[in-house]
Amino acid sequence: MVGGLKRKHSDLEEEEEDEKWDWGPAGLRSYQQALLRISLDKVQRSLGPRAPSLRRHVLIHNTLQQLQAALCLAPAPALPPEPLFLGEEDFSLSATIGSILRELETSMDETEPPQNPVAPPGPQNEVLPQPDPVFLEALSSRYLGDSGLDDFFLDIDTSAVEKEPAPAPPEPHNLFCAPGSWEWNELDHIMEIILGS
Amino acid sequence: MEEDIDTRKINNSFLRDHSYATEADIISTVEFNHTGELLATGDKGGRVVIFQREQESKNQVHRRGEYNVYSTFQSHEPEFDYLKSLEIEEKINKIRWLPQQNAAYFLLSTNDKTVKLWKVSERDKRPEGYNLKDEEGRLRDPATITTLRVPVLRPMDLMVEATPRRVFANAHTYHINSISVNSDYETYMSADDLRINLWNFEITNQSFNIVDIKPANMEELTEVITAAEFHPHHCNSFVYSSSKGTIRLCDMRASALCDRHSKFFEEPEDPSNRSFFSEIISSISDVKFSHSGRYIMTRDYLTVKVWDLNMENRPIETYQVHDYLRSKLCSLYENDCIFDKFECVWNGSDSVIMTGSYNNFFRMFDRNTKRDVTLEASRENSKPRAILKPRKVCVGGKRRKDEISVDSLDFSKKILHTAWHPSENIIAVAATNNLYIFQDKVN
Repeated sequence: MVGGLKRKHSDLEEEEEDEKWDWGPAGLRSYQQALLRISLDKVQRSLGPRAPSLRRHVLIHNTLQQLQAALCLAPAPALPPEPLFLGEEDFSLSATIGSILRELETSMDETEPPQNPVAPPGPQNEVLPQPDPVFLEALSSRYLGDSGLDDFFLDIDTSAVEKEPAPAPPEPHNLFCAPGSWEWNELDHIMEIILGS
Repeated sequence: MEEDIDTRKINNSFLRDHSYATEADIISTVEFNHTGELLATGDKGGRVVIFQREQESKNQVHRRGEYNVYSTFQSHEPEFDYLKSLEIEEKINKIRWLPQQNAAYFLLSTNDKTVKLWKVSERDKRPEGYNLKDEEGRLRDPATITTLRVPVLRPMDLMVEATPRRVFANAHTYHINSISVNSDYETYMSADDLRINLWNFEITNQSFNIVDIKPANMEELTEVITAAEFHPHHCNSFVYSSSKGTIRLCDMRASALCDRHSKFFEEPEDPSNRSFFSEIISSISDVKFSHSGRYIMTRDYLTVKVWDLNMENRPIETYQVHDYLRSKLCSLYENDCIFDKFECVWNGSDSVIMTGSYNNFFRMFDRNTKRDVTLEASRENSKPRAILKPRKVCVGGKRRKDEISVDSLDFSKKILHTAWHPSENIIAVAATNNLYIFQDKVN
């Protein structure tokens, strides 16, 4: 694995001339985190009214996995790392990546029954309860304009009839939204309604 | 190169460098027909424009036939999938011609979801002399008709009409990236990100699925299909390329579902070039059989490769398209240019290959002499009949007078689509919303 890091070092040095990065361990981590941020931002931005390009998603996803591996393997720097884009330092990346692809599947697939995805073991080895596809559907509705809660209720109706019984609602921090964000508040509100009924 | 003026809606938008362009006019595919007499372009607004080569006049032997607009029609319209709440773009992804079998021309055009077969035919005569209808076209009272007059065909101004003959819909969950007509001329295939379907031209309500790489669990998805093409002579063989830089040759005789390949082409990775972007730049954006059927050419982000069908472990030739971008991959990832899908083409004799780049540059590689040239398609640099001047990108150090430095390249001016006449040295180059047609200089 050290050999792997070495290779990355030499390659990034090539890019140093143009990108002007500082190549100490903190600089390298910084670069990787920047790439991570860019990648996650791309995923968020690409979920628009048009079906996203699956090729682009898969390529970004694979890059994210490489970054995740690199960030986990790199020794912890002396300084605390910059907070990640999502605002959670021990945030599980595998949950993010998994949920991105699952959301993609939900929005793009036909009437295929949703698989019960097995979460890949995250670096912290958490066992992650799966986000209900309904929640992800509701989240993606943000990109289609302000559909409010009406569309969400339609989704709930459908899920009750067609989809397999949903697992227990996940804890909010396993979804790819930061506490205090729009999605967080919306999700909170939605969960209250479901759990309250 | 002139466009008909019509009343289609225009959607203006800013390009990255803030220059205005009519977005609907952005050309998304270019294709010569089998004789080279016709050249079709498809655009982002769902239109197809067909150019026809002028007959060479006997008086002016040295004046080569020019291409003029022959027919324009709206092939696809934007749609909305209400079930998934998703827009379906009308952009024409690919056009493929069928070989000509009678007076009419046939082509396939496709957007992300639906393939259509169009018939383009000429009408230069009109029947006249009906006496069953009055001048306004209303049927006359039969009691007033005492004679039967047979209409006579009279010449009229040439009218070219395009009619949709078949619509092949609802067979693709994902975005169609390729269509390819089989050499049997009875079937064709359409490929999306995860599946390839085989169609019979006569049957629109069903297709055979011949490749399916969708995993049971979408989370395990790491690879998609990027392009596919039938072998030019063997109607049972086809290839498809992937986002991981691999090509698979499949034989439909082996089994109904061609998930197992007959041949698997992949070049081992060069460890000294490894980076976070290695996979993205290895993703193949186009695959083309040579006319001979002996070779395949693939285009990835930085190179064009020629493979011998008999050698799976590495390409026989690799050509650097714009290697100076290798040190810029992070920026190109950030601005999404790294995902651009460039096409590549063979010339008629398979001796020269061509592909596009940025800054309206395109590159040609002579496989025999190993010489290459960079040319530019732009109004400023090419007046009609002017000779194209070779261009050069300066990588570092002192820039010569005619060179352009890497940092000055305009990444919004990309040449993704080019075409080469099947037998002559005539090329068509699409630069955003402009079409350039270049011909060999005649002495």
